[in-house]
Amino acid sequence: MTEDDFDRLQALLASRAGYRLGRDRLHLAEHRLGPVARREGFDSVDALLQSLWVKPVASLGWAVIEALLNPETWFRRDRAVFDTISRELLPAISRVRPGGRVTLWSAGCSTGQEAYSLAIGAQEARVAADIVATDLSQRAIDKARSGLFSAFEIQRGLSARVMLDWFQPAEDAWTAVPRLKDAIRFARHNLLDAPADGARFDVILCRNVLSEMEHAQRGRVVDHLERRLADDGVLILGAEERIDGDTVAFRPVGGRQGLYVKAPAALSRAA
Amino acid sequence: MPDEAARSVRPLGDDHPVDTRTCLIVDDSRIIRKVARRIVEGLGFEVDEAADGAEALSHCTGPLPDVVLLDWNMPVMDGLTFIRRLREMPGGGRPKVLFCTIETAPERIAEALGAGADDYVMKPFDGEILHSKLAEVGAV
Repeated sequence: MTEDDFDRLQALLASRAGYRLGRDRLHLAEHRLGPVARREGFDSVDALLQSLWVKPVASLGWAVIEALLNPETWFRRDRAVFDTISRELLPAISRVRPGGRVTLWSAGCSTGQEAYSLAIGAQEARVAADIVATDLSQRAIDKARSGLFSAFEIQRGLSARVMLDWFQPAEDAWTAVPRLKDAIRFARHNLLDAPADGARFDVILCRNVLSEMEHAQRGRVVDHLERRLADDGVLILGAEERIDGDTVAFRPVGGRQGLYVKAPAALSRAA
Repeated sequence: MPDEAARSVRPLGDDHPVDTRTCLIVDDSRIIRKVARRIVEGLGFEVDEAADGAEALSHCTGPLPDVVLLDWNMPVMDGLTFIRRLREMPGGGRPKVLFCTIETAPERIAEALGAGADDYVMKPFDGEILHSKLAEVGAV
């Protein structure tokens, strides 16, 4: 892969996904694109890229983009936030919602561990929850929807007791029980795209996504999240993430790392 | 520094500072013990090793370890027998015990939890899994 190829990859990811591909990831990019080249019938990564530059094919472009996104996730990542959700947020929101139903969105769910963690938390808290989980990567969504996790994946973040309650062995892997899978609706979605309808969520988790994005695109994504969040809802970012500089629509919840609620300005705009 | 040197060679059963967390690794495989030792030492534990359940019990005559990583199938005394004996000892309910074994059947996992294990690790494991499991039981 030449420097020029990498520059073009950076531009592709920034414009289509808002994703920032640091120059330190050149070798990682080459490594990740190897399987894509083989799958798509090219002899090498160079051949794949030359074809893409000469005749851009949307499906090939997305295959390349998907391979370069950061899929890192695990069950109950930053454990404390899941305790906050199931012990505090869900019961509190449920009390003020018709029928007690709470809506949650796992935005940038990768292979689904976050969404399954939410579904487990809601069912253990006995709160009726509608959970939507989306990601830019169709391959990630397909895996998430399958509910299948390797022994490595299933053990990262879940205790054995919880694993036994919610998953069953399937050859070399573990699969989510039907009542867990049925609790989540998985779909492909690009966070750069404006909301297509007026659906609102009570809790939105968008963790470790904004910190991977081009600065110029972050504001746009935050704006879309704000439009999707109920006025009394909660936005949850990664433990180390901040959006204070990107928007005036949200304010952090004191003492709760990564939790944001709508600022008064955003409430009046929505009204 | 002489103090640190003395600490590093002192047997686990001796009077250790309360802020030093201790881990007993019980496995008949020297390689598994070595791999696990490297991981838990990286997490700040002071480590002791035993090759079977009976040897592990002999390490539990003084202060009990904070954490036990326990294989299931071992000669002399298996892990299940060890944990049942440990849990019957005065203060034996305190150590966090994680089975680390190739047994992956749900009924075996349930049996281990029923015998008093705090959590269960299916081999092969890596540092991330072990760290995650130790965090889940509140040991790190």
